[in-house]
Amino acid sequence: MSGDYKFDTLSLHAGHVPDERHGSRAVPIHQTTSYVFKDTEHAAALYNQELGGHLYTRISNPTIAVLEQRIAALEGAVAATATASGMAALATALLVLCSQGDHIVASSRMYGANINLLENTLPRFGITTSFIDPNDLAGIENAIQPNTKVIFGEVIGNPGLDIMDVEAIAKIAASAGIPLMLDCTFNTPWLLKPLELGANLIIHSLTKWIGGHGVAIGGVVVDGGNFDWGQNDKFSNIAGPHYAMDGINFYEEFGPAAFTAKFRAEGMYNFGPSLSPTNAFHILQGMETLSLRMQCHMDNTAKMLEFLVGHDAVAWVRHPSLPDHPGHELAKRMMPRGAGSIIVFGLKGGRDAGRAFIESVELASHLANVGDAKTLVIHPASTTHSHISAEAMVEGGLSDDMIRISVGLEDFTDIKADFELGFLAAAKKLKLKE
Amino acid sequence: MKHQLFDTNVHIATGGRTFNNDGEVLVFIHGSGQSHLTWILQSRYFAYRGYQVLAPDFPGHGLSGGTPLDSIEAMADWIIALLDSLDVNAACLVGHSQGCLVTIDAAARYPDRVARVGLIAGALAIPVNDHLLSLSDKALSKAIQAMISWGHGPMGHMHDNTQPGHSFLGFGNQLMAANNQNALKNDLIACNKYKNGEDSASKIQQPALCILAEKDKMTPLKFGQQMANTLIRGQVTVIESAGHMLPAEFPNEVNTALRNFLNETDKS
Repeated sequence: MSGDYKFDTLSLHAGHVPDERHGSRAVPIHQTTSYVFKDTEHAAALYNQELGGHLYTRISNPTIAVLEQRIAALEGAVAATATASGMAALATALLVLCSQGDHIVASSRMYGANINLLENTLPRFGITTSFIDPNDLAGIENAIQPNTKVIFGEVIGNPGLDIMDVEAIAKIAASAGIPLMLDCTFNTPWLLKPLELGANLIIHSLTKWIGGHGVAIGGVVVDGGNFDWGQNDKFSNIAGPHYAMDGINFYEEFGPAAFTAKFRAEGMYNFGPSLSPTNAFHILQGMETLSLRMQCHMDNTAKMLEFLVGHDAVAWVRHPSLPDHPGHELAKRMMPRGAGSIIVFGLKGGRDAGRAFIESVELASHLANVGDAKTLVIHPASTTHSHISAEAMVEGGLSDDMIRISVGLEDFTDIKADFELGFLAAAKKLKLKE
Repeated sequence: MKHQLFDTNVHIATGGRTFNNDGEVLVFIHGSGQSHLTWILQSRYFAYRGYQVLAPDFPGHGLSGGTPLDSIEAMADWIIALLDSLDVNAACLVGHSQGCLVTIDAAARYPDRVARVGLIAGALAIPVNDHLLSLSDKALSKAIQAMISWGHGPMGHMHDNTQPGHSFLGFGNQLMAANNQNALKNDLIACNKYKNGEDSASKIQQPALCILAEKDKMTPLKFGQQMANTLIRGQVTVIESAGHMLPAEFPNEVNTALRNFLNETDKS
């Protein structure tokens, strides 16, 4: 070992060393609920966190731990904890951070389920949120209250594709003594490592680009270890005595990994949002090719943008790599390899033309996912964002005619031909209307 | 626990148990630019096995206030002063890396206060190259990254951790970054100028265990073995594949070796 392993090497190897007894090169699937204790002392020691190890798969599992350690390595984090989905990761992280009466400052330009959780579910538990345009730095700063526990947003907003200025918002959070937590599903650590810009906690839906194959749902909470939980009295649930284990103080005991220790001891233990070991295995298979896939996603996205921008059937196109996008310069600076493989656009002929397009494409799949190796299309207003209010739609920068593409890895000439078919159908629909 | 020593607020990890000076006291002494967090998987383990554990942060390190001490001798005196302030007559000192120099110095100069000695990834001298010294002064984050990279063996670099989901390198970087800005520089200068290791070690009559790492790049194995050979009652355990940060990389092996040593040797 002459230095630290690089990204591509870590994607293949991090977290796993073949065991001496069997020598399995691939990560074995430990499809087990429980682990045999060596003796009663060993059992008690695991429960009391005197030793590392596994005691029950709701809390941790050897296959899942490889996935977690691989993510932590790729992000440059102190630790990661995998969950059953990205939403499980977000909900559990917020419930570990916040208590009744607490407040969150969040981006108004986010995935519908993220907004639903903050706008409709958490208020029932006494946790409220102020939604702010992620580009309004002064607005974010002014929205922070004495009871605010976290700033949350998506680096690349879904589906509006707004770009958050991570470094600037991290400074606002740091000066307020609260962490910045980001949903980094759309960027993956291949495009951006936000911890290096001062973010503190990261959420991923592993279902998307990190898995990449669309066969397994999963999520993860990544702990940057760069937030001082004892700097003020806001986080006594982490920097004060825990209700079990003789009142362990995770901040004093685990230092930079205090959040993860609390997340596992309370979040995983009490809420049980565990990932299946088999899903962890599937996601690990995807991670092995993350770099290769992301490069191809970026290449095809560039070709798709060129195709759409010059097409007569297209009314408008939005992507951060286009010069007219408000976050263009910021995206170029933060993510020089590309700003993700989601494109949104509108067709001449509006919503009806869009419906005709979606129903006519054959290669592109009409479904509620992104980040698959295959090209996907959807109409957000009637699907992923149908549960949010009309006001929130406008606030979120969504329009009724918007079509979202998740650009896949097919040969681009085939995707282009497929889209031409869809555009033809949309044009026919438009003519019939006239 | 929080403790006041020489007008400084000192943080001492006690392994999650209330400290009681009636029992056998184990003092875990951290290395350069480290803190009590070196001993996460030792302090709790021994505290729940009948030992009274003290894993202090030196001034300017971890959660302790104050400014970093500037010599190994000053650190040894500080450890003895800490024992005085807690009414501890004698303790087993367990050092890691720079903590080994502190332990050796304290055991030689205060033989009545040090019952037994544990030396983990240590040597009789820890010279520091000029480049690292310069980085610790002018580019701290680079110095930290270099030390964390060199300090970990193959398991560390492969992120194969006994604590599920944890990264050795990420944790090590953040642990060191949380210290006083001058902590690492002061520690490295203190290590570099300490020349009494061989003389001190040759005077130590107490039972001593050296736990050494096969792949140690910072205090290479041959220097650890030299240290063990110099000790009058030195024993050696070598942990295969381990790097310098073996208390974190191989906690179970370190704990077993230390526990066996404590069980098997008398306290005199």
